[in-house]
Amino acid sequence: MIHRNLLLFRGARYLWWSLVLLIASAVLYATQGTVQPPNGGTWQGYVLGTIGALLIVWLTFLGLRKRSYNSTLGSVQGWTSAHVYLGTALLVIATLHSGFQVGWNLHTLAYVLMCVVIASGFFGLYSYLNHPVLISKNREGGGRAELFAELFELDKQSRSLAQKCAPEVGIAVASSIERTTLGGGVYAQLFSGDDSFYVRGAGAPVRNADQQGVVDFVAERLPRAQKGVEAANLQQLIVLLCRRQAVLRRIRRDIRLRGWLKIWLYFHIPVTLALLVALVVHIVSTFVYW
Amino acid sequence: MEALLRELHEGPDGITEYRDSEISGDELTLGSAADQRIQLLGRAVAAEHAVIRKSGSKLELSCRSGERIRVNGEECSSAKLTTGDVIELAGHQLTIAEPPGGFDVAIELRPNENIAASEFESAFRTDLDQTWLSKRPTAWLLVAIVLLLGVALPVGVMFMHHAERETPGWVPGDEFWNSGPLSPAHQQAAAGRCDTCHKQPFVRVQDETCLSCHKTIHDHVSPQHLALTQLGPTQHCETCHREHNEPASFLVNSSDAMCVDCHATSQQKFAQLHLEPVSGFSAGHHPQFKAQLLKPIATAAGAGFQFDWKTEVVPLDQAVEQSNVKFSHTQHLDPDRVLRRNDSKPLNCADCHRLEPDGEHFEPITMETRCAECHELTFDPAAPDRQLPHGKPREAVLTLQDYFTRKFSDPNAGRPTRERRRLPGHEEEEQTCTGAPFDCAMRSAHAEIENQFTRRGCVGCHVVVDTKSESDFDRFQVYPIRFARDYFPAGRFDHRSHQIQGKLTGDAACLSCHKAKESKDSKDLLVPAMAKCEECHGDRPAVERVTVQCVSCHAYHPQQTVSIEAPKHEE
Repeated sequence: MIHRNLLLFRGARYLWWSLVLLIASAVLYATQGTVQPPNGGTWQGYVLGTIGALLIVWLTFLGLRKRSYNSTLGSVQGWTSAHVYLGTALLVIATLHSGFQVGWNLHTLAYVLMCVVIASGFFGLYSYLNHPVLISKNREGGGRAELFAELFELDKQSRSLAQKCAPEVGIAVASSIERTTLGGGVYAQLFSGDDSFYVRGAGAPVRNADQQGVVDFVAERLPRAQKGVEAANLQQLIVLLCRRQAVLRRIRRDIRLRGWLKIWLYFHIPVTLALLVALVVHIVSTFVYW
Repeated sequence: MEALLRELHEGPDGITEYRDSEISGDELTLGSAADQRIQLLGRAVAAEHAVIRKSGSKLELSCRSGERIRVNGEECSSAKLTTGDVIELAGHQLTIAEPPGGFDVAIELRPNENIAASEFESAFRTDLDQTWLSKRPTAWLLVAIVLLLGVALPVGVMFMHHAERETPGWVPGDEFWNSGPLSPAHQQAAAGRCDTCHKQPFVRVQDETCLSCHKTIHDHVSPQHLALTQLGPTQHCETCHREHNEPASFLVNSSDAMCVDCHATSQQKFAQLHLEPVSGFSAGHHPQFKAQLLKPIATAAGAGFQFDWKTEVVPLDQAVEQSNVKFSHTQHLDPDRVLRRNDSKPLNCADCHRLEPDGEHFEPITMETRCAECHELTFDPAAPDRQLPHGKPREAVLTLQDYFTRKFSDPNAGRPTRERRRLPGHEEEEQTCTGAPFDCAMRSAHAEIENQFTRRGCVGCHVVVDTKSESDFDRFQVYPIRFARDYFPAGRFDHRSHQIQGKLTGDAACLSCHKAKESKDSKDLLVPAMAKCEECHGDRPAVERVTVQCVSCHAYHPQQTVSIEAPKHEE
């Protein structure tokens, strides 16, 4: 139960750290008084901004700490737990630093980038808490390689059995194997898009979503089978095709769950780098036009 | 178009096997995607690679844009096909054959046997890393956008501004660094150029920059005054005036803290400037009000004396109005004794006291504009239209002499020789003058002059001194009347916003602060003390209290520079 440990690491130690930090920040914010509206330019605003900037830099270091396997500077698990809690606190601290003043400017751009990073982080946290369980349930203990090995074995058996059937069955089954799609683009991976086809007769290839088309096609031949052998072959072919269908479903679900588990990182990491640059420019530009 | 596709495979025993399939449709599509009419596997094959169409009796091959194909050994993107032509793509070989009857095209396909079906299947893209999604290039792209918008354009526009070169309006320049809106007037003055105020990078906006436009503003303390104190230089403009904030109403910092910072410890820091300490607006934290009054100083001049008016500052509880007027507010506000002449209604405050447009001060009260309506300067009931000139004693004497001279010498006037003499207790007692008309006139004038100055006219409102001089012109000296224009020059007070006091309106509101009905003497200064303000106001938010700040009543920037000789009473 990795996820339990992630949030409850050492009795949710970093949750308390973050709460203390948040209360301190709120008090600091409230002391800005009536001299000017709360903003990043009061001394309290500068302090909040400095805390926020240091937090951003530290949070980024998780990416480095994760890769330095020899490091003894706390466990990666502890770092990640702190990363989650302090990253959440950052959202509040940066908002207090801004004094709720937003506009079409670099400063708000940096803020928005930070929000994107944190929001994608929340999504990542949600995925890490839920998807690993679903993935291992779906694979039933095996790996993806085992699923593919089973698929390829079924492909081979289906092909050779279909050769023994009528030519149109042979063409339909062979083409349904060749024209099976798995995964593909971002959308297809995340939403289990299925662009499979099979060839039926002389017309254009027909859709074969979830392999149902080819299963139905073969099943329709069964009552018309004239010889006992042919009927037996077709029957066995249907069994193979249905097993193939089940494996394909599993693989598609695996691709989908893995996709959702990883998709947030494609936002979290590049936007973090853009945020770091925007943060530096934000700080420098504030003092260029002091 | 009807096509026959013959797929040739080498069987396990070395004998070529074939599989025929019929394809009908407008065009034959070639590619690796599942929906292609002829599916060719391999890395070099695009999802939709090429199309074979029939145009007339000829066959035409054309690749999708960017794709190439080999026809008879020549790489091309399109070709006309005839029987015997060989198309090669990723090791697959398609030969155009003579079509049998009923078919338009016949194609022999020799697939690349090195590409196993499983190899193609393992080329499925099953990981997001295999899609267009990427971390590093996306990061670079985002960083580049941030650097372009956040650094390149602003710095570029900044340098163009320094070089006084025009920048196109659509270019987002250094306003992208703007941390918040300017107040509208500053926005207009800056016209989108940050360097209008931010002259030097990494240096705060300097006071000189502010003063280059705000030329008429005066500093809180004049340099001469400042030299008498142990205070450092006065605050920078931006200490109180902060821009780029929302809401823009915060352009002026109205907090008491800034004022109290110096004024609370005035005993130590103000040195020779003797100002009482102020730390808030409540008893004990704010000195009692002091009125600036005029004090007449009489000096002997000729037969009489003349007045100089000197300003003096007096605490309210010791303040005595020395205007020289004889006036009773009690009497004028008593409806049993005074009614308005035109409508016979009791007098209102506003009948005499008219608020000026500034809402703080009142129009000066003069005889001509306020008193004369009731208090006429007639002197002869027989001539109710004749009045004495006001404010000019010498001309009043002349007027009386002229009047009686004419009266006694006019042959057309009826009963001119009867000398009229008014005695106390005898309203109309007349005596006959038997002398020369001029002597009679002078005698009557003399009597009336004495009457006006000592019993009936001037003396009603003015202090009149009898110098016992022989000359009628020099005998009576009238004290002039003057009021201070502004009792509290260092304070601001809006009468208009105080014209409603709780449920009280009109005169009742006025009288709730100014105890005019109880004032029988013009020496009373009817200005309420600070305690009256405190009934409604406090310096910090409280229930049923209206919060006032230092700047609610006091201006930080003086209207004019205070010269060093001027009295030191800035409170």
